[in-house]
Amino acid sequence: MLTLVGADIWAKRARSAGIAFAVALAVMTVVTLTVVSSGLETAATAVLTVGKADFTVAQNGVSDLLYSNIDTGQLAQIGATPGVKSSVGVLLETEHLSAADPLFIEIGIQPDDLATFGVTVVAGTAYGATASNEVMLGWRAAQNLGLHVGDTFHANGTANRVVGIYSTGISYGDSAAMFPLPALQAYNRVPGSVSLVFVKVGPGQSSARVQRTLTANQPELTTISTLAQAGRADRNLVYLKAAVTGSTILAVVIGAIVVGNTMLLSLFERTREFGLLRAIGWGRRRVVWLVVSESLVLALVGSGLGIGLSFLVTTVLEALPQLNGVLHSNFTSGAFWHGLAVGIGMAVLGSLYPSIRAANLTPLKALSNE
Amino acid sequence: MSEASTAPPKIEIHGVTKVYADGRVQALAGVDLTIDAGEFVAITGPSGCGKSTLLGLLAALDTPTAGVIRVGSYTLDRLRDANRFRRQEVGLVFQFHNLLPRLSALHNVEIAMLGSTRPHAARTEFALGLLDEVGLGHLTDRRPPQLSGGERQRVAVARALANEPSVIFADEPTGSLDSHSTDVVLRLFQRLRTDHGVTIVMVTHDEAVAAIADRTVHMLDGRIAPEGAPA
Repeated sequence: MLTLVGADIWAKRARSAGIAFAVALAVMTVVTLTVVSSGLETAATAVLTVGKADFTVAQNGVSDLLYSNIDTGQLAQIGATPGVKSSVGVLLETEHLSAADPLFIEIGIQPDDLATFGVTVVAGTAYGATASNEVMLGWRAAQNLGLHVGDTFHANGTANRVVGIYSTGISYGDSAAMFPLPALQAYNRVPGSVSLVFVKVGPGQSSARVQRTLTANQPELTTISTLAQAGRADRNLVYLKAAVTGSTILAVVIGAIVVGNTMLLSLFERTREFGLLRAIGWGRRRVVWLVVSESLVLALVGSGLGIGLSFLVTTVLEALPQLNGVLHSNFTSGAFWHGLAVGIGMAVLGSLYPSIRAANLTPLKALSNE
Repeated sequence: MSEASTAPPKIEIHGVTKVYADGRVQALAGVDLTIDAGEFVAITGPSGCGKSTLLGLLAALDTPTAGVIRVGSYTLDRLRDANRFRRQEVGLVFQFHNLLPRLSALHNVEIAMLGSTRPHAARTEFALGLLDEVGLGHLTDRRPPQLSGGERQRVAVARALANEPSVIFADEPTGSLDSHSTDVVLRLFQRLRTDHGVTIVMVTHDEAVAAIADRTVHMLDGRIAPEGAPA
C-alpha cells in the first residue's frame, strides 16, 4: 500500500507539491496565530506568577488584567476574608521606554510587602515607603538597561534613583521595575488603587473555599489560581483565543476544499485504476484508505513545512520595528500539535468525499472509462 | 473438456439475462451453460453478442437481471462480499493488461495480494515466483511502460494468479498482442490448466485463438448458439 501511495504522489509531483503547499500555508497561519496569542497570554498572565500567591484577585470582567482596579476598601475587605493569611495589593502599569522596550512593566508595591511578594533585594536597599523618586530594578531589567545601584532611571516623566536591584526568581518579574505604591499611584493618577491583590491562605485553609467566600462577598471581583483562569478573566485574551479558534476552523475548511478539489481531479484521472483495484478484489475501505493515505502523507509534509515557515514568519515579525518588544512568540509543543491537527484535519476532511466516490465506483464502468 | 471428471461442475449458468438500465438493450437473453472444473473454455462470437457481458457477470463485476450463476460453492446473486469472491476465487485478465504504470512488475502482482493473510515477505516471494513462472523473473523491477505488450500481458496473468484462484476469466487476452506474444500467453494458459488445474474461461473473437481451448462456446445475439450453428 505504501509503495502505491508513494508512487501515486511521485507520479503527480506538481499537484502533490500544490496540495502540500496549500496545507503548509494554512498550518503556517494557524501556528503563527497560536504562538503569538500564546505569547501574549503568557506575557499577560506572567505577572500572576511573580506574587507566588495561592490565588490572585482581579476586577471582574476587565478587558485586560492591567486595567483591573481595586480600591482600598475592597483591599481591606479581601484581607479580612476568613482564611486569608496575607494579601498584597499591587499596581501594574506599562511604560514606553524605547522602541526596543515599548511595554516595560512597572510594579507599585509597599516595601513591607516585598518579602511576602517573593522579592529578594540582591544589591543596594529597598526603597522607602513614601519615597517619591526611588526605584528598584529587577536584575534582568538592570542588565538590559545597563543600570546599577546609584544610577538614574527615567520613567513616568521623572528621574528616579536606582536604590536596589531585586530578584523574584520569575523572569517576568525580574524584567520589571518596582516603585513605592503611592508614588506609582501618583504618577498614574490612580490614588488608592491597585490592579491585583495576591492572596495567601492560612495553614490548613482550603484555597478554593476562601475564593468562594471572597467572590460571594465581593461579586465585583474574580479570583484566579491558574493561568487558564487568567486567560478567561482577561476578556482581550478571550477574544484573541476566539479569533484563533475562528481562524483555525476557517483554515481547515478552506484547506479541506483545496485538498478535496485536487483529490477529486485526481480521482477523475485515475478512474480506471480504482476500477481495476475494485475488480481484483480490493474492498471499499481499502480504496478509501488509499486515497486518504495519499492525502495524509501530503498533509504531514505540508504540516512540517508550515511549522517551519511559522518559525520564519514569527522571527521576521518580531524583528519588525513596529512589533519589536510587543510580539513575543511562544512555541510550545501545543502549537506544534495544533498545527499537525490542522494539517491532518484538512487532509481527512478534504479526501473524504473523493475517497468515498472512488470506493463506490462500479468496476466495469470504471474500467471502460477512457 | 474433462469428460472423465466426476466432480461437480465449476460453473453453472441457468437462464441468465441481462438488460441494461433503460430496458432497450438486452445483452443476454437466457444463457444456460455448464463448465467443469479444470476445463478451458473459449467463448466466441461477433462484437456485441454478449460474451464480455457474460464474463463480467461470471466475475461478479456486474449482476444479472435474471437467472442464476454458480461459481464453485458461490451463488453469485447471494454474494455478501463480491470483493472477497473476486479476491479469493477469481483471477482476471483484460485485453488491455490494466497494469498500474507507476508500479514495477513485482508491485503490480503484489497489490492483488493486499488483504490476504500472507505476511509481506511471503507475498513478495510468491509474486517473484509467479513472475518467474510467466518467464519474467528477470524483469521484476521494470515498470509497464518499460515492457513489451506481451510482457505486460504476462505480468497481468501473474497478477491474476496472485491469490491462487480456481478460475481465470480472460477477456480478449490476446486482442492487443502480436502473434508471437499471443502464442506465449496461450501456452501459459494451457500450462496453468494442466499444472494448476485452474478453470479458464476466455472470451475471444478470434477462432484461431479459441481453437486452443478444450471447448468453444459460440454466442449470438445474447444466447449460446447451438453446436454446429455457423459462428
